[in-house]
Amino acid sequence: MFIADIKKDFYDVVANQRVALLVAADIDGLCACKILQALFHCDQIQYTLVPVTGWQDLSTAFLEHKEQIKLLIKEDDDLGVPTYDDIFRDEDEEGEEEGEGSGNESDEGSEPSGKRRRFDEGAIERRIERQRTKRQWEARRREILFDYEQYEYHGTSAAMMFFELAWVLTKDTKDMLWWSIIGLTDQWVHDKIPHMKYVSDIATVQRHVSRHNHRNEDEENSLSIDCMRISFEYDLRLALYHHWSLYESICNSYYTACSFKLWTLKGQKKLQEFLADMGLPLRQVKQKFKSMDITIKENLRDVIEESSNKYGMKDIRIQTFGVHFGFKNSFLASDMVHAAAALLESTERDENDPTDNFIKALDSLSRSNLDRLLSGIDLAKKKLIAIQQTVASCICTNIILSQGPFLYCYLMEGTPDVKLFSKPLALTMLCKYLLKAFIHSTRNKRCKLLPLIMAAPKDVEKGTVIVVGIPPDSETSDKKNFFGRAFEKAAESTSSRTLHDHFDTSIIELKSEDRSKFLDALITLLS
Amino acid sequence: MDPSEVEFLAEKEFVKIIPNFSLDKIYLIGGDLGPFNPGLSVDVPVWLALNLKQRQKCRILPPEWMDVEKLEEMRELERKEDAFTPAPSPYYMELTKLLLNHASDNIPKADEIRTLVKDIWDTRVAKLRLSADSFIRQQEAHAQLDNLTLMEINTIREFLLDSLNCMYKLRSNLQPGATKGQFGDY
Repeated sequence: MFIADIKKDFYDVVANQRVALLVAADIDGLCACKILQALFHCDQIQYTLVPVTGWQDLSTAFLEHKEQIKLLIKEDDDLGVPTYDDIFRDEDEEGEEEGEGSGNESDEGSEPSGKRRRFDEGAIERRIERQRTKRQWEARRREILFDYEQYEYHGTSAAMMFFELAWVLTKDTKDMLWWSIIGLTDQWVHDKIPHMKYVSDIATVQRHVSRHNHRNEDEENSLSIDCMRISFEYDLRLALYHHWSLYESICNSYYTACSFKLWTLKGQKKLQEFLADMGLPLRQVKQKFKSMDITIKENLRDVIEESSNKYGMKDIRIQTFGVHFGFKNSFLASDMVHAAAALLESTERDENDPTDNFIKALDSLSRSNLDRLLSGIDLAKKKLIAIQQTVASCICTNIILSQGPFLYCYLMEGTPDVKLFSKPLALTMLCKYLLKAFIHSTRNKRCKLLPLIMAAPKDVEKGTVIVVGIPPDSETSDKKNFFGRAFEKAAESTSSRTLHDHFDTSIIELKSEDRSKFLDALITLLS
Repeated sequence: MDPSEVEFLAEKEFVKIIPNFSLDKIYLIGGDLGPFNPGLSVDVPVWLALNLKQRQKCRILPPEWMDVEKLEEMRELERKEDAFTPAPSPYYMELTKLLLNHASDNIPKADEIRTLVKDIWDTRVAKLRLSADSFIRQQEAHAQLDNLTLMEINTIREFLLDSLNCMYKLRSNLQPGATKGQFGDY
């Protein structure tokens, strides 16, 4: 069901009922969930929170709660629906015969059927004509649906949608604004939206930020230091650099690591040159950022931008937001995304229950759970280091093979930290970094335009691997991913035992024995 | 008495809020609470103000005494005088804590106010301790302290009463002809 006016059609309907909130396991969903929870608390609406990790989970949860609850709200960041973000399901869901596509397409779909009904009383010729138009309409519908389902891409962040709802209800607070910023930044960090969309969404959010800041900052009535302040930052694209040392951050952020090619000796030397060029002593750069010399920190961003332009990194700075509360807590939105993602998919020994991880990640997003957030940042650091090391070893041992229409890489079971990569978000991040690194390290021009498929062992006992496909890397890509359909078709044609459970259809689980025939089918399909 | 009980009693005090919803007059056991109209200020007890603030249905206005200059004057006065000066409000400590924890974005210069109130509290409690100390030491029979608030009294109550009891027991043991059984108490 698609909603035109979010307040009337959605919130007012929900306001007096008991609601089940099924939330997908990604950061944007988490943020949207926090915003909704805050809204529900304000209006004392009862709700049940159920984390789901895939379509199967979704259906079991739906069946469990079916008797008690009539309306469900499922939220994840939007996959493949061109215009609307909420997928709102009713128990008596009718089969959507009239086309499910975007506004335009459904109009086209329903129009011929409307005409069809008007011809009800008629002669035989009319009946024949009806059948013909019906067939045409069916064919067109199939085509529209195929186009619709062929590519998968992401629309506006769900957290931002819910913030707009809160704003319409004038119940928006800085906390909610911050959560919507985190949701948007999650889409950017995990490369789900194109750069242009990110920039335009930032502009939208910036309006809200200035509205909130303007409301509260006054010369005479300055705000308590404990209140949350959100500020616009044009900051460096170095992951977690405020909570780490500058050197480590440069080594482990994919942008800088790929530009310098830090897996080669030459790259390391270039990095040293870069640091020397900026006049930053190694001792300062290798110690914790917070303890760096103040004189160095003052102009750091400009100095780095200037030098990085010389080394070919034109986009070292990115527009983002930061939050400050209390005297010592300041975080960038991307820091929080990394921390929450690391908590969500943590593979620490005693934390293997996905619901537990979900709750921990959800907690880390609120201001009062700083130690949770800090532990998340530590986990994120480990994850980034692991990714960097895996990328370096993959490139150096040349295990990326070109299979014709795509590149393929398989992580062996003995690779260090391979447990970390059995989770979808971490594996997708690794995939992206690996592709970028590969493009920088290879001389083959054709290979630079190929997509990458990566497989890693998921569950050793059951013998399954998790397979992820990402589109080719290009500056102006619109991030449309066609691997969903491709995987389905390949699985059908070879009758491999696959599980297309994840909400993101380009991530599937596969039995390891079927790996080779699945790959062959994919090669034939895509060439 | 537990400090949380004192805080509970403090929540009955009235404070001005500006609601953003409208509601007719409500009739509660403790009294009537006037009709709520968006944008118009209305007096409500602190417990209701905090609940509405947490549900983002109102904006709390700081009470009159919660102003930096007034508090600075009171602090200076308190430091000069030996006796207790009238407190900003009979529940100033609790109200400061409640309002600054939940509604610090509605109160200008919240950090300075917190520091000033803490200074006033420290001065008063120091005077109280001094006075209790001299009372016990000189074995006075009665004393009178004006302008104390319930929270301050509650802070010193247990200690003062216990120590007076101990002193009494010690004194009665020193009297000649004391019965032997009394030593067993310790």
